Amino acid sequence: MALAGEVWSMGNNVAGLSEIQQPTVGFYAENRYFSSALNVGALTVALPLGRPLGAVAAADGASPTPTVVPPAQAAWARNGVVAFEAQRFGGQLYNETRVGAGYGYRFGQISLGGRVDLLQVSIEGLGSRRVVLGTLGGQIEVVPQRLSFGASLYNLGQTKLASYQDERVPTVLKAGLAYRPSSQVLLVVETEKDVERAANFKAGLEYRPVPVLAARLGLASLTEQASAGIGVLAGAFQIDYAAAFQQALGFSQHLSISKAWGQKAQ
Amino acid sequence: MATSAASAQDYTRRPPDLDRLTQELFAEIQSDQVPYEDLYETLLQYYQTPINLNTATREELRVLLLLNENQITTLLLHRQANGDLLSVYELQSIEGYDLRTISRILPFVSVQSSNLHAARGSLWQRIAREDNNALYLRYERVLQERQGYTPPTLYHGQPTTRYLGSPDKMLIRYRVSHTKDFSVGFSLEKDAGEPLSWNPGSGRLGPDYVSAHVLLQERGRLKTLALGDYQLQFGQGLLLSSGLGVGKGAETITTLRRSSVGVRAYASLLENTFFRGGAATVQMAPTVQATAFVSHKNVDANLQQAQDSLAQFDEFTSGLLYTGFHRTASEIANRHQLSETIGGGNLGYTSRDGNLALGATGVFTHYGTPLLKRAEPYNRFEFSGKENLALSLNYSYVWRNLLLFGETARSTGGGLGTVNGLLASLGPTVDAALLVRHYDADFHTLYGNAFSENTRNINETGVYFGLKVRPVARWEVSAYYDQFRFPWLRYRASAPTAGHDALVRLAYTPTKTSLLYVQLRQRLKPRDLPAADVVRPIPLPGEQLRQSLLLYCNTAPSTALELRTRLQASRLRDDPGLPWRRGYVLAQDVSYQLNRALKLTARYALFDADDYDTRQYVYEHDVLLAVSVPALYGQGTRVYGLAEIRLNRSLTLWLRYAETRYRHQETVGSGLETIQGALRSEVKAQLRVKF
Repeated sequence: MALAGEVWSMGNNVAGLSEIQQPTVGFYAENRYFSSALNVGALTVALPLGRPLGAVAAADGASPTPTVVPPAQAAWARNGVVAFEAQRFGGQLYNETRVGAGYGYRFGQISLGGRVDLLQVSIEGLGSRRVVLGTLGGQIEVVPQRLSFGASLYNLGQTKLASYQDERVPTVLKAGLAYRPSSQVLLVVETEKDVERAANFKAGLEYRPVPVLAARLGLASLTEQASAGIGVLAGAFQIDYAAAFQQALGFSQHLSISKAWGQKAQ
Repeated sequence: MATSAASAQDYTRRPPDLDRLTQELFAEIQSDQVPYEDLYETLLQYYQTPINLNTATREELRVLLLLNENQITTLLLHRQANGDLLSVYELQSIEGYDLRTISRILPFVSVQSSNLHAARGSLWQRIAREDNNALYLRYERVLQERQGYTPPTLYHGQPTTRYLGSPDKMLIRYRVSHTKDFSVGFSLEKDAGEPLSWNPGSGRLGPDYVSAHVLLQERGRLKTLALGDYQLQFGQGLLLSSGLGVGKGAETITTLRRSSVGVRAYASLLENTFFRGGAATVQMAPTVQATAFVSHKNVDANLQQAQDSLAQFDEFTSGLLYTGFHRTASEIANRHQLSETIGGGNLGYTSRDGNLALGATGVFTHYGTPLLKRAEPYNRFEFSGKENLALSLNYSYVWRNLLLFGETARSTGGGLGTVNGLLASLGPTVDAALLVRHYDADFHTLYGNAFSENTRNINETGVYFGLKVRPVARWEVSAYYDQFRFPWLRYRASAPTAGHDALVRLAYTPTKTSLLYVQLRQRLKPRDLPAADVVRPIPLPGEQLRQSLLLYCNTAPSTALELRTRLQASRLRDDPGLPWRRGYVLAQDVSYQLNRALKLTARYALFDADDYDTRQYVYEHDVLLAVSVPALYGQGTRVYGLAEIRLNRSLTLWLRYAETRYRHQETVGSGLETIQGALRSEVKAQLRVKF
């Protein structure tokens, strides 16, 4: 995932945390195929450390003034950003709970980040197991405000979950490009490879007809899933909703709400 | 006449590179059944009588397929704000018109201050003076002897089937037309193997295929009157589509939407996709147009008698025959056996600003003999009986930079079909498209051809996403992803199936005359495995995957010389785990304009394809108005040469020779087309007489 500057960077590419400018809290919920056993819920908090470097970036004047300010153009916190996340997947019979802490830092056009998670997997009747995972992420603005590249490696230690069948937490490497042909349009492509599975290719399109509204479309090749979503900026709240469709399994729904405090540094 | 038209122009229009344009519109040719000739001829018509940018409506500009919705809107706004365009150079000052777009549309557009018809005299004078008043004579023949032309032998005491006519293919065609004014023409054609016979009782008038039309337009409130052979296209083509639909191609945005072009003259040689009778469009009010049409013709069908006295029909036909060939005794016996009567109409409303269009269409079809498809599971929901009534509503609405369009129809028996789409110019360099369609398994549209993966609009649900981005000048990336599902069985798919089709093309235009592109395509479309590979107890079609690559490079080192290289390769696998089969073609073209009178074009191509499934269709230059896309498989070479000779002002002659040489083959073709030896060569000649 190559996008930066939103609280969900914590889960997608931890390097993106580095561009968060305000203390932000986000809540995320997901339901797949109308089954409660496949629910996901997450709560994330991100805190920028130190005064933002915004004045410097704006004074550069290197960029033309687009009508909508893309997040990438904004400034970043002097001492980086820390974030904490708690996430739960599953229902009564099987569930995974994850708590993690992450940190992202940006210097020049490059952002780096890392996070550590404590993952607990519980299966009813079989008990539970806890493991520690490490994740790294990086992003680079290849063409400022137009093109950026990002890569992220989840579970770099290939942590073992059980010795039975050598079961391990998936190790997933993602790399993607985000291209912003105009201030209203964002195009993203990403490839995602789990060591044990075929590669997945994803493509997405975001269009902002007006600054407070975003319409999105997405496709994924391996899962053959198409999704459509909408994002609304309502005051300090950012609300995003998406519905995805898989031909064999049907619909899944995704909702996220985040709130930021304090003034944006412009 | 030519000079007076030219004086209205302030530049010399370059002739369009129709071949290149056709290739850009059709991503990858995968069948020889696509009506390329129709599109080709339509574009040629626009070249001969260009669209006037000062009077063209939104819908007329869309038909060109070369402008996106934003460009059309900015042109209309420019016209509103600044009055008529003074010259085509003014296009450069309009937002959204880059040089590539301008050079692509230039051959097809003009800038004239007003409608010129008034100044051109009476209809007869206009016809007589028209620049494209031309007669075409074409002759074609395969040089080798094919089995169908040898004397019959005896098999079980019966003579074997042979073609009854000569191997010559002949065509006489006349047409004179002017956009938005008139079109008059006729075609006579005899296919190879068809006999010439005079028998007016059975409708045989010498050549096997006879077509003629008269079309008048813009006669006051009578917008169009067609007599003879004609075509119709309304809404998204769900009920009536004239074959102008391009479908999925490298042009991922503008070709998605069908235009309501209404009544069109029919001058192509496909022997089935037209109506025969009359059609008229009348302007009821400034914003309302009504069209009524009636058609009666006899179509090819194999009539059968029911063996069972309790059967649904005593006499029936198991299906219409679309080849148009009447060469053998049995083909002639099936000729024009089924009478078909079609009537219907369309009522269309277009708002004064052209942004909103609504329409209603009704089509009633009556067959003289009931249709009853073979009792196969995949035919379970197919049309049967004598009569079909289909009704539809269509809409099209422009809101800012978005174009919404769609059509929904219902046919006798309750089947529903709907197709809805959205084209959006997201910014000056980004266009996106979305199209959703659903056709019930019992939706029957006999003349429809709306957007679909199947060849017909039946038994399909799908979503299409298209995208086109111009990241920097001269570069263009276009892509589409189409996901589809067939809820009922299909021919050669004995279970409900689902698949996808995706394409990415990167095009680079370094100069006006050069073009490079690379294109990747992947299609997953399940199909039953060959009997030998079936190890499954229940029918479950194999996940057939086809991947293809196309590299194309076109340069013109000088104004006279043009070079093209084309590499086409594909691989296909019937199911995961089964071996890949491959097809490959590399073709080099040279085109040289020797002088004003002579132009030579030649190609040398090598091909190597494992079998018919991996065959490669390669677009070839042909005589004017003909399109050639032979299917190449096996190993061998394909060579052709074409000479265009301008004898004088009114006579132009085309001569073409083409041959395919196969390796490791003792015969070419199959059945009656079999040739002994490894060579198949064709000659073609065409003479155009301009009046």
